[in-house]
Amino acid sequence: MNTVEFKELLKKEYVLLDGAMGTMLQASGLKMGETPEALNLQKPELLVDIHRKYVEAGSDIIYANTFGANRFKLHKCGYSVEEVIPAAIANAKKACEGTDTLVALDIGPIGQLLEPTGTLTFEEAYDVFRQQVLAGKDADVIVFETMTDLYELKAAVLAAKENSDKPVICTMTFEENMRTFTGVCVSSMAITLEGLGVDAIGVNCSLGPKELYPVVEEICRWTELPVVVKPNAGLPDPVTNEYNCSPEEFAQYAEKLLPLGVKILGGCCGTSPDYIRALCSMLKGRKHISTEKHIPCAVCSPTSTVVIDRPRIIGERINPTGKKRFKEALAANDIGYVLSQAIEQVHAGADLLDVNVGMPGIDEKAMMIKVLKQIQGVVSVPLQIDTTMPEVLEAALRVYNGKPIVNSVNGEEKSLSTVLSLVKKFGACVVGLTLDENGIPKKAEDRFRIAERILDRALKLGIKKENVFIDCLTLTASAEQEGVLETLKAVEMVKTKLGLRTVLGVSNISFGLPNRELVNSTFLTMALTKGLDLPIINPNVASMTGAVRAYKLLSNIDVNSVEFISNYNGVQNSSAAPASAKTADLPYALANGLKDEAASLTAKLLEEHEPMYVVNEMLIPALDKAGAEFETGKIFLPQLIQTAGVAQVCFEEIKKKILSSGEKTVSKGKIILATVKGDIHDIGKNIVKVLLENYGYEVIDLGRDVDCQLVVDETIKNDVHLVGLSALMTTTLVSMEKTIKLLRDNNVDCRIMVGGAVVTEDYAMQIGADYYAKDAKESVDIAKKVLG
Amino acid sequence: MSITLNEINKAEALRYMGYGKAKPDEVTLRNIDECEKALLESINPKYIYRVFDIRHAENSVEIIGTSLVLTGTDICRHLKGCDKAALLAATVSDGADRLIRYYSAFDMAKSVITDCLASAAVEQVCNEVDRIIRSSTEQKYQTWRFSPGYGDLPLEVQKDFLDVLDAGKRIGLNVLDNYMMVPTKSVTAIVGLSDSEISKGRRGCSCCNMRDRCAYRIRGEHCGV
Repeated sequence: MNTVEFKELLKKEYVLLDGAMGTMLQASGLKMGETPEALNLQKPELLVDIHRKYVEAGSDIIYANTFGANRFKLHKCGYSVEEVIPAAIANAKKACEGTDTLVALDIGPIGQLLEPTGTLTFEEAYDVFRQQVLAGKDADVIVFETMTDLYELKAAVLAAKENSDKPVICTMTFEENMRTFTGVCVSSMAITLEGLGVDAIGVNCSLGPKELYPVVEEICRWTELPVVVKPNAGLPDPVTNEYNCSPEEFAQYAEKLLPLGVKILGGCCGTSPDYIRALCSMLKGRKHISTEKHIPCAVCSPTSTVVIDRPRIIGERINPTGKKRFKEALAANDIGYVLSQAIEQVHAGADLLDVNVGMPGIDEKAMMIKVLKQIQGVVSVPLQIDTTMPEVLEAALRVYNGKPIVNSVNGEEKSLSTVLSLVKKFGACVVGLTLDENGIPKKAEDRFRIAERILDRALKLGIKKENVFIDCLTLTASAEQEGVLETLKAVEMVKTKLGLRTVLGVSNISFGLPNRELVNSTFLTMALTKGLDLPIINPNVASMTGAVRAYKLLSNIDVNSVEFISNYNGVQNSSAAPASAKTADLPYALANGLKDEAASLTAKLLEEHEPMYVVNEMLIPALDKAGAEFETGKIFLPQLIQTAGVAQVCFEEIKKKILSSGEKTVSKGKIILATVKGDIHDIGKNIVKVLLENYGYEVIDLGRDVDCQLVVDETIKNDVHLVGLSALMTTTLVSMEKTIKLLRDNNVDCRIMVGGAVVTEDYAMQIGADYYAKDAKESVDIAKKVLG
Repeated sequence: MSITLNEINKAEALRYMGYGKAKPDEVTLRNIDECEKALLESINPKYIYRVFDIRHAENSVEIIGTSLVLTGTDICRHLKGCDKAALLAATVSDGADRLIRYYSAFDMAKSVITDCLASAAVEQVCNEVDRIIRSSTEQKYQTWRFSPGYGDLPLEVQKDFLDVLDAGKRIGLNVLDNYMMVPTKSVTAIVGLSDSEISKGRRGCSCCNMRDRCAYRIRGEHCGV
């Protein structure tokens, strides 16, 4: 069956799915904790019998018993994916013989959480699903259900779409708070999946049909796709495990969902053929109720949907162009710095972040993938992928979790043909630049024509109009003063005549002029009044973010000035203590967590002193003092780290100074840190990192769950002579031992220090480490000993 | 099932941070308040438990109706005199992991504080589940919470344990190949139930695998379990 035939099926007023499989199997004697999918081979008659009951109850589609048939979950029972899935589908098909009922390949979560919370990578998840999709080639439909992680579901959908032509149905499991366990909101699910081209979306499991009403209402508000509802039979009793909703009640509550526009219904945990029969008779003779919809234009991360119904700030700072410190960070693989830039912009008021990591000498594709994943691990604002390389764009669109913006396509044929097809495939929004083979037209009318052309091509490819944004291009006022008003005119034309949303990179306007900030914020306000929706600015500049907020207030978008007042009502939300000008010298700032003061004090000191003097005479003594106080129990871990955190800010100032003078970075030597393979608890390693960096060591942080071989490779590649390994679980100590052995076997010229809650000094020596660090402070002492 | 926490046991969290009787400095106290607020907004505590009949055998306890068999002298001693046991799993949810990760990108001190607060929070959730079990079961007596990995009850039982409770589907709690739970701020435990009084097995260091390297013991303290 292909998607066209599925569309035929949807011509029915309602489509009926089946009910629970696990509940039926447990009723026939399956013990809790056993692998239900093994029964496809062990007791095929039982499966055929259950399936047949659902077919007889009226199901149009039945789910094969393949929910957990993935390589991880089947491990326990000893059967392979290729054995179980075809057998399961054959059982279901047999039950459907002589009827029109279709069979779905049913795929649930892998059961191993994906990065960043878990360890399974997006690419591995794709591979797990791909294996299931290929093994299920005899099914009519592919269903992904009970999903709680949008990232996992995206991997699944891509695996289905790229390895079969079957229709794809996706249902996620939402709780009463309208989110899944991993925090995914309904709107993000809907717009992401619709973008990826699935055939129906909805909700299953977790709650009964009564409790799911608000969730279903929200889904229907956010999609034009057929909506699926497969609820539990109410809520379970923890002692008896019995569900509290009878088939009749189930059908009654399901009936109340119909006016919302639901098209496809079935039952999940606790339901049986009786429930499906009840649904079937309730639906008999009823017409599907289609509702009028206006889906808002929006982009999203899994946990946050940003509707473009008002000016939204796109932060421009994640971009190496013209930024020495950023370039240095990218060259050194220092993702931590990139993350700090992301967080700073979000704190300053960015609604979205532009991400550009293109610079000569680095692998832009690998860097883009890494940076996107890590940024999405710490902030929830949606991202704009900014690259000129199609292969980087494709890789980025693959791994982005949610619906991003692509920056950019332009009117050139080559750009249109490569970029737009990727935008369509991955369901993104796209920024169209009004330039082409002939450059940027001078006249607004000519830029408008390019915008029209871009829109036209996008529409032909099936990209929705609201997903196309236009950038009419800011020219530099000092060079082309008459061009400023042309840009603004073009913005207005695109906005009013084409009805598209507009984007502008603002900061370019003032290039080469004094008082750039004034020019930038004035131009920004002018553009907003012409209909600019998405200004790309530096949100850390208060007057820029302020101009957007003030515009929203004055144009009655920020109703009752709520946003404006909450940002400017004078509340101090800094965690730092109020500093009195007199007392704040650097040691005081370090001891009291005063980051801003410490930064400006450091900058001042650097005017008079050499950077190394500030490090050796100011910072390190203060850190030593904190370290000594920590050892004697005068201060405790949070305060020690607090001091280190302030010192980090000072080091940023020092680095900036050094880079601007063209000197080499201050480094007392390189240290590799890693939380060993299998271990995801990296807090200890992160504490050690902050402390070591404060003493001027250059830390190469390999992260957590690090392959033994990677530690060896990176140590050799970077010529590192001190390696720190951390483990928190008794079960991952083996990986620590393995890593050490591999370093020794390869004769790597390095000392090894180990630490972590379960490591003891004896054990450290026993597995061949050179040093045992009982806490972060001691790791600094070891580094001093080894590297000086 | 959900539980709402309105505050976090800060005294407990401070102990995890290493403060014995000492009072934290003002910056840390302010940070703790800020992190507590953020954590309470981020977490979504969930639990699941089921009560099973159990069968005692030599050096093992069988959980009837499931594929689960708990082995070792410690669990046998723990459940001695009980004819039923509640298997429970609780998590404060992925929200805690996300917040800890978020702070670690720009403020490690807050990350550590949040980590300790989240550990205290999951204990609070477990205490609440204990209370719920007590109020919803007929048995008058119940044991303390014994977790996989304690004493000689192998940590390897974690996978089957969570499968029996269907914890992945019901509360979003999963286990990795090396038996680490994700979300990380989660607990599984076995509570014995009995109609007659249970000899009070002392919870303590004797059956703890960490007893040789425990930071609390080194300081002459006790983790409070």
